[in-house]
Amino acid sequence: MSSLRVLLLILVGAAAVPAIGQQLASPSENGAAPAGAATTPKVDESALRFFAAQGDKQRLDAEIARLRALYPNWQPPKDLFSPTPDQDPDIPRLWALFAEGKFSDIRAAIAQRQASEPGWQPPADLMERLDEGEAARRLVNASEAKQWASVLRIATDTPGMLVCANMDVLWRVAEAFVRTGTPQRAKDLFIYILTSCPNPQERVATAQKALQLLDGPDLDAVLARANPDNTPEFAGLREDLLRMRVGRAAQDTTLSVSPGDIAALEQLARNGSVADDALVLGWYAFRRGDAARAVDWFKLALDRQGGASAAEGYVLALAATGRAQEAEPIAYQWRDAGASNRKAYIDLMAGLLATAPPPRLEQSVVARFAPVVQEAKSATGAQALGWYAYNTGQIRTAASWFRTAVQWAPADEVSAYGLALVSQRLKDTATLDAIAASWAGKSERILALVSPAARRRLASRAPAIASQPAPISQPTPMPVSRPTAATAAPLPLNGALPDRLAGYEDGPASGASAPRGAPCSSAGDAAFRAGRVSPEEGLARGWCLLELNRPLEAINAFDIAVRDGAGRTAEDAAYGKSLAYMRLGLTNEAQVAAIETPQPPARAVTLSADLLAQRAIAAYRDARYVEAILALDERSRLAPEQQDLMSIRAWSYYHLRDFVSARRIFTALRDAGYPEAGAGIDAILAVTRQVRS
Amino acid sequence: MARLMARLGRGAGVAAAMLVAAACLVAPGAFAKEPAGMISRDDWAAYSARFVDPSGRVIDDANGRISHSEGQGYGMLLAYLAGDKAGFERIWTFTRTELLIRDDGLAAWRWDPEADPHVTDINAASDGDILIAYALALAGEAWSVPDYVSSATRIARALGQQVVRREAGRLVLLPGVTGFSVGERPDGPVLNLSYWIFEAFPVLARLAPEVDWAGLAASGRELLSLARLGPAKLPPDWISAPAGRPLAPADGFEPVFGYNSLRIVLYLLRAGIPDSDVQKAILNNWMVQNGGMPAIVNIPTGKALARLSEPGYRMLAATLACAIDGTAIPADLRRLQPSQYYPSTLYLLSLSLVSEKYPTCLR
Repeated sequence: MSSLRVLLLILVGAAAVPAIGQQLASPSENGAAPAGAATTPKVDESALRFFAAQGDKQRLDAEIARLRALYPNWQPPKDLFSPTPDQDPDIPRLWALFAEGKFSDIRAAIAQRQASEPGWQPPADLMERLDEGEAARRLVNASEAKQWASVLRIATDTPGMLVCANMDVLWRVAEAFVRTGTPQRAKDLFIYILTSCPNPQERVATAQKALQLLDGPDLDAVLARANPDNTPEFAGLREDLLRMRVGRAAQDTTLSVSPGDIAALEQLARNGSVADDALVLGWYAFRRGDAARAVDWFKLALDRQGGASAAEGYVLALAATGRAQEAEPIAYQWRDAGASNRKAYIDLMAGLLATAPPPRLEQSVVARFAPVVQEAKSATGAQALGWYAYNTGQIRTAASWFRTAVQWAPADEVSAYGLALVSQRLKDTATLDAIAASWAGKSERILALVSPAARRRLASRAPAIASQPAPISQPTPMPVSRPTAATAAPLPLNGALPDRLAGYEDGPASGASAPRGAPCSSAGDAAFRAGRVSPEEGLARGWCLLELNRPLEAINAFDIAVRDGAGRTAEDAAYGKSLAYMRLGLTNEAQVAAIETPQPPARAVTLSADLLAQRAIAAYRDARYVEAILALDERSRLAPEQQDLMSIRAWSYYHLRDFVSARRIFTALRDAGYPEAGAGIDAILAVTRQVRS
Repeated sequence: MARLMARLGRGAGVAAAMLVAAACLVAPGAFAKEPAGMISRDDWAAYSARFVDPSGRVIDDANGRISHSEGQGYGMLLAYLAGDKAGFERIWTFTRTELLIRDDGLAAWRWDPEADPHVTDINAASDGDILIAYALALAGEAWSVPDYVSSATRIARALGQQVVRREAGRLVLLPGVTGFSVGERPDGPVLNLSYWIFEAFPVLARLAPEVDWAGLAASGRELLSLARLGPAKLPPDWISAPAGRPLAPADGFEPVFGYNSLRIVLYLLRAGIPDSDVQKAILNNWMVQNGGMPAIVNIPTGKALARLSEPGYRMLAATLACAIDGTAIPADLRRLQPSQYYPSTLYLLSLSLVSEKYPTCLR
């Protein structure tokens, strides 16, 4: 069977291409000698003679190879280089135009000659070559425009161009098979090339193309066509194959790679000098939850000029290992390298800033974040600056940032809650009431700020008030600049002092706390400070202070009850104390407090579950997503996971780039009617559309 | 949505560099003697020297020297009318290899010499495909080239499958394959009534009889009558034709009777329709309102935004006047004065019509 016939069978198998059956009787096939026939076929050698006369060795060889493929019994003439006196003078000129690829000029010249000399026919070989040349050009254009059915149709219409000399065309046909859903035909075509075409560079390039387009057994079948000489022909490609496998697995956590593959690529990465392998390994580790290892690979990639992707990965991985502060300079430095880098920086800072109690940050770290938030119009960033200002007692600044966040993301409940909370503290009842009205029926905790009944309802389910950090004192709170757009009357950048005064009007400005309004103890404050109160009084005072959202003082009160009380009183106090710690976001302390006194089994379970929920939330806000998931896993053994916690779990997976798991949960949440789930699914789609390498 | 063929660039003057005349291998004098020759050899040589490059690319010199399916179709039609088989082959070769690459068998509409790949919008523009198929059919029949006829047939069938569609209760010609239908635009379908090249429909009907070309022609006539909008009662370039609502200028397009619509007159006349109500409205606007010159007219106000004094545009008005009351073509419009691709094209199509159907206007 001639190789041309093999090729035709590959093409004809493309059932998607219409009217292919008729193409079997192609002109070149008609011209071919029947297999086994001894007669010498009549072969048009004018092209050969032209290329020979031109001294164009490359084209001459290609033409000889082409004619041999078409006419297996044909031998090139011996007298190729002798002059041919009989020539029509137009013929060499037409071939010259052909050699220059001036197909339109040839067509025009032929038409002109035929108009002046009816019945004149150009050489059949020229016409065939011209058809093939045009078809090849058209096929390339169709392929560039991703018109894959068109590519296959053109190839089927002009199979004569599908020869080793047109390697690019062959590769494009193979890609068209893959793009139209018939990779096995691409495999057949690659095998045809490796069976028929001898050029070593093109063979290796063909194997590389196969690597890009095929996988699994199809790819193995192609690579098995390596020349069986001493050194395996495609040995160098093994590394590419390895990179591709791990690279795909780094994108898609449902794919598995053998530990041997990972070890081999790690070896390559360490021995190499470029960033690519380290980068792939970084993403692979990161998306499989091994952030610590990912940090090392991303660091290596970054050191080797791995660019924006390396920086992004490094930042995410550092944050995931609880080293957010360490990541900040890198995140800031790379913030303008791309949308992902900007997001990584903003998310990192948001995680840092929204932590309660606020971490100690360099002033410059906070100061340089605000302009980025402004420019990106990031509600996440604005909200985080709001919480940071709030947590450090800069209540008016907090109000400005929350207001900005609400402007940028009106549907974000957390920003609205933040604004409501500071409005309450600033006695801005107009704003508070407006927010409460617009969130009526949608946010219980916003309602609780204006409705005592709702507050009681919520308190009975404590500690559901998760992200409600109370302002606490910090020795040297970092002043936060205000958003420029949202502030009507610009205040000095260091608006900290007036803020603190305003914010602390009902808070512990110094060690001496003097509760205003409803006193929380029948005993005097002095007696309380002296510790001369009964455990029952301490317990009552603790609950009262907690109700007033003054958890630090509540802890002191509960402490008295734990220390001096017994039985139910001590249990309750320990419980209250751990709630107060949770209110402060201090989950470790909360856990310690909870075990100070044995709790009744039911409450112990509730408390543990609540603690773990708090810990998960805190970890999540800290961008420690692995820990968030671990806490949720632990909690799920004690109590069913509510939708808001499922959402946190899903977002944690999202941040860890485990989009499959995130999507599964978001989908379940969406089906259950959880309003935020759609945003998660959208976010996954937005990210997964971007191919990262 | 692909914004096909926004012709507003066409007013701007971009001097076209003279192109190298097509390489001639054989001594000239080989022009066909077939009856199609309604365009003189000199006029066509001047046109093709200026707007057709050796690769067969018809250059729209007022639109960044891009090429498009419409220009290629015009070029092929003009070459046919000039009896230039070689020129026809040249333009067709470019059209086939560079534009006729879509999966559905229609041509990609936009080709940019500065871009790589050159095709910068794979969408089709249906008037370009109609012109290409029409020119192929005419040339294939007159010159007995079966390949032309079979190529024309494939395009005509693809047009029937892709863009001749029943939308909002009418049989319409969608301007492109994507972006204009009821399903794709709130004000859809959005149509361009200057894409109805009426003279081509009977020819395409012979090639693809399964498509209701006669119905398409009838709906085009009806739409043209309904599209007389605004104080000047002129059809906008881009029109929205939703079900059960009156026609209106399409959203996102300038509401003008502009460079697109002004060729409607020519297409109707070339199809043997001299007296439709839309032609009367256009004639009134050009002759009475704008001193014998075609004008770009704002539809809502009816005011002229620009008068087009280029010979190619004035020839449209002269041809209309000739067809309606036998007015002689002014002396300065009897030869092509190649200025820019678009008005020069309209000029040659007008002149070929007058010389064929109204020769007395040239005496």
